[in-house]
Amino acid sequence: MSKNMFRNSLAKLASLLPLLFVTLSIHGEDLPPMAQWIPADTPIMVEVSEPMALMGPLLKPEFGQSVTTALENGKTNPKLQQFEAVVAALEAQLGTDWRAGLRRLAGKGVSFCVGPSGATLLAADGEDEKLLSKLNDIIWQFASAGAGQQDQPETADSREYRGVKTWKLGTNEVHALLGPRLVLGNRMSFLHQVLDLRADAGGRTLASSAMFKAAREAVGKDAVASVFLNLQTLRETPGLKKALDEDGNPVTALLLADAKPALRSASWLALGVYVSGGKLILRTYMDGAAQVASKWTSFSTPPEAGVGPIPPLTVPGTIASMSLYRDLHAFYAAKDALFPERTSGLIFFENMMGIFFSGIDLTEGVLSEVRPDVRVVVAKQQYDPAIGTPATQVPAFAVVLRLKEPQHFGEIVEEAWQKAIGLANFTRGQKALPGLIIDKASQDGMKYTISYYRPPTERSSGTVDLRYNFRPSLARPGDYVILSSTDALARDLMDAVKQAPSTPAKVSSGANSLMEIEGPALSAILEANRENMVRKNMVDKGDPREKAENDIGVLLAALGHLDHASLTLRRDAGRPQAQLEIRFK
Amino acid sequence: MKPDPNDPAWAWALFQPDAERPWDLPLAAHLYRRAAFGGTWPELQRALSEGPQATIDKLVHPTPEAADFDRLYDDYENAAAASDGYGSQAWWLRRMIESPQPLQEQVTLFWHNHFGISNVHVKSNASLCRHTHVLRQHGLSSFEELLGAIMAEPAVWTCLGAGANGKRGLSDSSVRILMDQYTLGPGRCSDLDVREGTRALSGWIVSQGELRFVPGEYDATPKKILGQEGDFDRKALVGILAKHPATGQWLAQQLVRWFISDTAKPSESLLAPLAKQLTGGGNTAKGVEMLLRSNLFFSAEAYRQKVRSPVELALGIIRPLEGRVGTVRLAVDLAELGQELYEPPTIRGWAGGLSWLNPLTMLGRARLAEALLAESGAYEGRLDPAGVLNRHGQPAIDGIGQFLVQLYLQGDLAPETLAALHTGVSATGSADTRSANPRQLATRLASLPEFQLA
Repeated sequence: MSKNMFRNSLAKLASLLPLLFVTLSIHGEDLPPMAQWIPADTPIMVEVSEPMALMGPLLKPEFGQSVTTALENGKTNPKLQQFEAVVAALEAQLGTDWRAGLRRLAGKGVSFCVGPSGATLLAADGEDEKLLSKLNDIIWQFASAGAGQQDQPETADSREYRGVKTWKLGTNEVHALLGPRLVLGNRMSFLHQVLDLRADAGGRTLASSAMFKAAREAVGKDAVASVFLNLQTLRETPGLKKALDEDGNPVTALLLADAKPALRSASWLALGVYVSGGKLILRTYMDGAAQVASKWTSFSTPPEAGVGPIPPLTVPGTIASMSLYRDLHAFYAAKDALFPERTSGLIFFENMMGIFFSGIDLTEGVLSEVRPDVRVVVAKQQYDPAIGTPATQVPAFAVVLRLKEPQHFGEIVEEAWQKAIGLANFTRGQKALPGLIIDKASQDGMKYTISYYRPPTERSSGTVDLRYNFRPSLARPGDYVILSSTDALARDLMDAVKQAPSTPAKVSSGANSLMEIEGPALSAILEANRENMVRKNMVDKGDPREKAENDIGVLLAALGHLDHASLTLRRDAGRPQAQLEIRFK
Repeated sequence: MKPDPNDPAWAWALFQPDAERPWDLPLAAHLYRRAAFGGTWPELQRALSEGPQATIDKLVHPTPEAADFDRLYDDYENAAAASDGYGSQAWWLRRMIESPQPLQEQVTLFWHNHFGISNVHVKSNASLCRHTHVLRQHGLSSFEELLGAIMAEPAVWTCLGAGANGKRGLSDSSVRILMDQYTLGPGRCSDLDVREGTRALSGWIVSQGELRFVPGEYDATPKKILGQEGDFDRKALVGILAKHPATGQWLAQQLVRWFISDTAKPSESLLAPLAKQLTGGGNTAKGVEMLLRSNLFFSAEAYRQKVRSPVELALGIIRPLEGRVGTVRLAVDLAELGQELYEPPTIRGWAGGLSWLNPLTMLGRARLAEALLAESGAYEGRLDPAGVLNRHGQPAIDGIGQFLVQLYLQGDLAPETLAALHTGVSATGSADTRSANPRQLATRLASLPEFQLA
């Protein structure tokens, strides 16, 4: 073989090496789960085992298109332009578009954890070690060139630790490459802890902790992502401790029932994320005492196993509809045990109820008359063209209750409602504000009570006052009582209750709350209030108008892909559980 | 011979820089602190190159975009005022930060303080919002025009004690406030003047949020007010009070306190030229312009002779850093420091001066500075001292520490304070002040006693 032939063969081989390298690296190091490298006392751990399944909707071209269109509107934002330029430069240098790049860099799993001292760590498992290395080289070159210059005063540093090269860019970024895994954090000390656990077998890792194991088992293997929270540790953080310790808000207690007491006694909370039938499903799990004190469960436990609340109501333009099994009588009868400290709010509420219901005992005389079926409906409303549309559009909302003895108690409710409207009028009158006019109307021969503000005498500068969002109404079809913020919703609900079943929905055992959200209607009401949201963003965050418009535009574009969401609260093996199902368009 | 600040001829003469009083960064920043809540680095540099009078020209004359800006922000404020909460106050704060005509906002705040109309009594954000629009719209006009507009405001009548439901008009004690606080100054009118003034205002009541005239309730008999006799009604009373020489003196005194010094006790002869400008056929714009262009304004009697109010403190931190922050939160924080916009504590406004400072408020001021300049938290790290240095830093200024001292305090620091400034401030690797933590340095500077002075 001549020297030239040998040289040519070597050259050919050399030209094939990159291909060989890519092939090897794609099927390269099979890394253990990140939990095996994380300290055992890590309080928060998020694992995404199938990022592409989870990100599916976000990576759809139509989703990207709508968000991109929203972003296009913010092209004047210099930071956005800078970000786009950086992404474009990286795409050019890496030879891939960002979606494909994301798949190759993080397609095999992403983990994120928050350490005990607040240090954070993100691990991305890619399919392409070479691409990751190339990306690191580009960033490192850029950072090294800039470090020490006037506009880039922060440091860039690279050192070896336990046989692994680590990088430090600026004050809050550290990272290491471990084969196709990128480990990125904000503190070098935490990264070192991880590298120690990786190098030394037998260390106390999160994966070996009993709590984490129990949480992973509860979540199951079919989850595409999971979140683990060590409540024993997290409960010590002042904000969460305060939130969990407080039981003073009766409305929260009524809605969440035993969730808070259960969180107080549980040692861990887990969230499993699943993809099934085109839906994203999020389900919580926790340990702790199988039963919290009955005072927290008695008012929210349906009497029969295997049934739940009656189905939520649907009307034209429904944004959200909720059905709760809540025995209001049992709830309020236990108030001294539930809320040992009588707050001024509670005392005021009782005083007002005493006035509205003419001194009838609230627990035994009023709430005992109400069945434990509570439904709430929120819907888009149509405005009277003669008055116009308020600048802030508040959706109509209503509470639908069922009475045990509607013939007897219906008129008492009517009387209380009219007193409440009268009191509101009196209070508004003291402030020289217009009051509500009470009137009777009828639908299909059934009378109902409405109230409304008289139309403005003159329209000033085209703005319509916020009060024209409200026409409080009361209707009593059959054994139902409908308390609605508008007469139109009251009429729609009068029709709906006639058609809707009044028997409990066949839901899995132990459900006590059902909530449905209609994506298109939610998008529509938010779209109608886009300008208000932009303005709120401007003064809340201090953003310039262009950025606020851009942020809200992206939010609405993303929300536009929500088709339907439903939330179920139930008791599973005596423990509260929440399940959220999301369907995208 | 040393100039005499009590000599009206010297005090009101145009400031002409000379070797004794050169036009330098401290004086340029002084002008921007008083007239614009603080200056950015480019504004200060431009002022240095253009000179004081040309800079004041820019501050007092509306820019072409000012009218559009005002229309837009009127709309923002009106919409926010339809709801409870701090929305419209937040928009006003943002307006102070962003306005191309910050002097107009400074004067609006001056009048808000002067009339002391509070939402505690009015109980309507919309009415207070409308009130500040009136202050802004007429604040630089003649005082008679402003007073006429103010006395047509239902919020003013409600705050002065007129019933919200048309039950009653103003009482003698309310008219006493009109004369003693709004116009003539304390002790310049008799009980008879007050009673006659009350009769001149009879017939006006607040009903359904509007000021209405009920002819049958009006006392049309002749009145004698401040030595003048006639069938005086509201408009005539406004004219008498606005044109009275005592009003000019009183307003001049208030403006000197606002723009020159918290502690100044100017003589009547010193105030006379300014008083004449304010009520003798001139207007507030000309009066303020006269103040800003004067030797007195640039004298030692004015320099660092005011305690920053909480609003001035916050804006003095924000504006030089060319940032925007969430102003809803800022409105709440300022309320906790004692300056809740729309709610002056009394009809005499905020006491101002040293009353802003006590151990508790000093701690609160330091906390506000810390929150505004923190990398994260309530204000989300929106202010970026290092970014400002990167944009405007000059070779002559060596490092972030010196730059911030120049930007925030123009070197008005004792050497030992300057030396101690870097102690304990974390560095990012180098002993050089270049890499000292800019946010911590800025926080320290804004918490210093020196920074509390405007």
